[in-house]
Amino acid sequence: MSLINAHGITKVYRLGRVDVPALRGVDVQVEQGEYVAITGPSGSGKSTLMHILGCLDSPSDGEYHLDGADISALRGRALARIRNQKVGFVFQTFNLMPRMTIDENVALPLQYRGGFSRRERLKRARALLERLGLGDRIGHRPDELSGGERQRVAVARSLVGEPAMLLVDEPTGNLDSKAGAEVLRTFREVHNAGNTIVMVTHDMHVAAEAQRSIHIADGKIAA
Amino acid sequence: MARQIRDWVSEWGELALDALREIWSHKLRSLLTLFGVVFGAASVVSMTSLSAALKTMAYDELSRMGMPHTFELIDRGPRADAERAADLRHVGLSIKDVRDLRNVRGVDAVYARDWSDARLVSTLLDQRVIPVEGVDVGYLSFRNYPIVRGRELVPLDIVNAARVVVIGEELVEPFFGTADPIGRTVTIDGLRFKVVGVVAPVELELVPADFSFLARRMYVPYTWVTQYHRGQQRVDQVFLKVADDADFPSVLESGRMYLKQRHLGADDFEVENSAADVAEDLAMADGILSGWNVVLFTIAGVTLIVGGIGLFSVLLISVRERVREIGIRAALGADDRSIRRLFLAESLTLALLGATVGLLGGTGLIKVTESIAQSFGREFTVPVNMPGAVMAIAFAILVGLLFGWYPASRAAKLDPIEAIREL
Repeated sequence: MSLINAHGITKVYRLGRVDVPALRGVDVQVEQGEYVAITGPSGSGKSTLMHILGCLDSPSDGEYHLDGADISALRGRALARIRNQKVGFVFQTFNLMPRMTIDENVALPLQYRGGFSRRERLKRARALLERLGLGDRIGHRPDELSGGERQRVAVARSLVGEPAMLLVDEPTGNLDSKAGAEVLRTFREVHNAGNTIVMVTHDMHVAAEAQRSIHIADGKIAA
Repeated sequence: MARQIRDWVSEWGELALDALREIWSHKLRSLLTLFGVVFGAASVVSMTSLSAALKTMAYDELSRMGMPHTFELIDRGPRADAERAADLRHVGLSIKDVRDLRNVRGVDAVYARDWSDARLVSTLLDQRVIPVEGVDVGYLSFRNYPIVRGRELVPLDIVNAARVVVIGEELVEPFFGTADPIGRTVTIDGLRFKVVGVVAPVELELVPADFSFLARRMYVPYTWVTQYHRGQQRVDQVFLKVADDADFPSVLESGRMYLKQRHLGADDFEVENSAADVAEDLAMADGILSGWNVVLFTIAGVTLIVGGIGLFSVLLISVRERVREIGIRAALGADDRSIRRLFLAESLTLALLGATVGLLGGTGLIKVTESIAQSFGREFTVPVNMPGAVMAIAFAILVGLLFGWYPASRAAKLDPIEAIREL
């Protein structure tokens, strides 16, 4: 069975009295260890698809299995648990906690996992930061790091809980081309280490990094 | 169980640490927020301490001016309306009674006294009619009348019915001028007495009682009054001090029965319960103070609640500011409970911080009050009232929970999608 198995995913938003369909029956399959890009212009529904695949939102209709678990029916706390265990998010704007050191930032998902002491969480976070070449930055705050470094901290945070997949949203959108290339190299390494990556982007050069692309337009998969 | 408690403590410890970091990053805002809670806690602890100190002081003064654990036996003179034979046989209180009453079980001490008679007192400088009382060994200390010079009456004075006298402070100047009166002589009803001590009025700060009459009296051995002056064995009054650990009512009753038996049933004395008077005064002081306490607690409570409202609005602002952060945390797997805990921890940490600062401030206020009182020459110590401090902390926790709950729940109810859209 595929790692991501989404079938007939539909999402309808109610805006006042009008129903606005954002997704109209999308099928997505991603295998374990794949590196997939989801592309499409803004307003195409790719963000909505990302939210559903990332278990932040539930589909109005359709079936979604992630790593063998049926997600379509889950809400609230159960969904939060799945997010914590199976999904590692990387955002365009890094979204690190400004008042925490980077090691505390990376350790944060483990806090919500439960069962780890603070010392244990920080130990794992530091090991991961070392692995991504940020060992000398441990103990610093995000605003003391460059954009590329911050995004790599975000990657470390997404990896710390050993999720089933990384869900990446425009990872180079806020970076210059040099830092962007550096971050993309990091993703390549992470993928080579056996991780599944689903990346949402509208940048064709970035999408070219992936093994294959899924193109979304008007809430449907375009060829 | 122990493990669960340890996990719980470490979790909330971490939350509190994060909250402190958050609070520290908004120093001014946190400071302003905390004012209400700080004042509330400070007023709770200072008011309760002050009230407790006043209570101690009032209790102390009432016990000093009254006679706790004491009852009196009072001689009743011959009765014109005596009908029973026993009443005709009345003998009244005698020196022998005084001596034997010491053997009643539970009685600590016995003090005899002869009421004052106006007597002509003179020295070379002056002559006046002064009330002169006959008293027992230790009677003046028993009544807490301060001896400011010399000594009070000692056992030999009583046994010998010695002609020695303790005089009131105000009588020193007219009778002796500026000279030291100790060892000098006064003439009472034509007999020469040696002055051995000077007694001053009881000083009271709170209780509105006037003891200035003490300074205008003289005290001689009661045995002299009884034996040589009145020429009979009669004593006017006996105070019986009951041991602290004895059962007061039963000692009082056995004292009464003892005397009644000795007097063969004659109804020639009265019993007066002085301890009851003290208890009544203490109850009255209690009533006044608890009335005060209600007012003080209302003020303190209102201040704390106002502080809570400040906390409430700042938390609402904090939740709005941190929508983005809430979204990130939700994406990382925080559920509604974790988010609520995050903000409850902030609320509780703020409230506890305020209470701690308030406790320190309240303690400072107490110290200032003490030093002001001392600069006026009053010995007024106010110990910090522990129940008050505990109450201030408990109240702050309550306020933190109460006013933190709604903002925290609002944060917890945020839709992660809405929160993440703010990104």
